[in-house]
Amino acid sequence: MPHCTPEQLALAALRERLPDTDTTHLAVCAECRAEVASLQRGVDALAVRELAAPEAPVPPPPSVWSGIAAATGVSAAPRPEVVAGSRRPLTAVPADRVRPVTPAPRSERPAAAGVVRPQWSRLLLAAAAALVVGVGIGAGVVALGTGDDDGLAVAAAALDPLDDRGATGEARAVERPDGSRVLELDLSAADPDDGFYEVWLIDEAVEDMYPLGVVRGGGEVTLEVPPGVDLTEFPVVDVSLEPLDGDPRHSGVSVARGVLES
Amino acid sequence: MINDLAAPHRSQAHGGALQRGRRRRARVSVGSVSDDAVPPLGGIPEPDDAEVGRRFAAGDEQALAWAYERFAGQVHGMAVRAFGPGPDAEDVTQQVFVSAWTGRTGYRPEQGPLPAWLVGICRHKIADTWVRRDRQRRAAEAAVTEARSAVDSTGPQVDTAVADRVLLLGELQQLGQPQRGIIELAFFEDLTHTQIAERTGLPLGTVKSHIRRTLERLRTRLEVDGAALHA
Ligand SMILES: [Zn+2]
Repeated sequence: MPHCTPEQLALAALRERLPDTDTTHLAVCAECRAEVASLQRGVDALAVRELAAPEAPVPPPPSVWSGIAAATGVSAAPRPEVVAGSRRPLTAVPADRVRPVTPAPRSERPAAAGVVRPQWSRLLLAAAAALVVGVGIGAGVVALGTGDDDGLAVAAAALDPLDDRGATGEARAVERPDGSRVLELDLSAADPDDGFYEVWLIDEAVEDMYPLGVVRGGGEVTLEVPPGVDLTEFPVVDVSLEPLDGDPRHSGVSVARGVLES
Repeated sequence: MINDLAAPHRSQAHGGALQRGRRRRARVSVGSVSDDAVPPLGGIPEPDDAEVGRRFAAGDEQALAWAYERFAGQVHGMAVRAFGPGPDAEDVTQQVFVSAWTGRTGYRPEQGPLPAWLVGICRHKIADTWVRRDRQRRAAEAAVTEARSAVDSTGPQVDTAVADRVLLLGELQQLGQPQRGIIELAFFEDLTHTQIAERTGLPLGTVKSHIRRTLERLRTRLEVDGAALHA
């Protein structure tokens, strides 16, 4: 029985369907199978979804263009509405301005873009967040805390899981000395394989809502509350699972929710 | 055309008809992306993608702004797919445009459209970020091991796939056309050799022999420089 041609073995390495003559030979010929395996390492390294052709576009937040402009020094700029394109402003508050919920060690996160950021510290943060969340659930309500230089907690909510993902968390509305308000939110949840978690403020009728920004599972975020939004009218803090489809609306899939109480 | 991308503002689907979810449309704050196409600026006709590519290579700063307008969403979509939304994805997107601009003389408009070139750079930046994360993970594991003063001998493992990707993306870049376009269609667009022949207009036999030779070349590169041999 003749061996498969080198070309057919390459197609086998790409996991293409081969004619029966090739597949029956491959089933009995260790030599040809070894050749396929040796060609497949390159295929397996590169033919992964993360490197595949782009799918849904995601508008980057404005800070990305600022960083490009700063690094290149170009004076031309995209239209403002494109630069502002991120429909979900990330309001990335530098870590040193975020009120720590626990004395857990924090990584130093330089605010400057393009700087290497240690990722492994997220493990520590996740563990710390889980502890805090455990306390919150036990008590049913999250303590407001005493506030500090960064502002005064005016309302808080324990976030309870809404489905079998078991996502939990807590949220605090904090009023800052300058009158602006932020929502500090910790989420304890596994990051989704696809998509991301987004935070919303919703009215009690669950009809109208404001998107605040993105939160990672096991992460904490500080999100600006849009000026003029009345937290007593929009007291529901909702965390949704959003697919990467570029659709700015709520996906309808909520993983955790709580009601702000002062 | 290989990896040709429509400009985002033209390819974006109109959201109208299908209301997703069970809730009313969210109020989206100022600065949001509308579902509608971005209106042209004051009626001034903008150059097509090919013209933007030529001006980009020539160093026209406005071309960088246009490229960002048209392709940043696609690039960032890739970065977010790899790392989720957040600083890592934003760094990748930023680095892609900065590298593309500083290396713009390396862009050859006749070899392919600008967005495909940007996507290629994005792959490198994603692979670089994996390497950096892997290095940090190993450093963290080493620290934990040390802290526990553990005696078990299983040291931090090098992720060979992470290193292989950087190596092989570099090797792909050395390929000429049409070899490179053919293997990219197979790897990144998941096309069969028959579909590649249809797409490129090349004979089936040519496509097959290019695939064979490219896979051999990648194998050789791994045998010579692959992580496993140096781990
Ligand atoms: Zn054989």
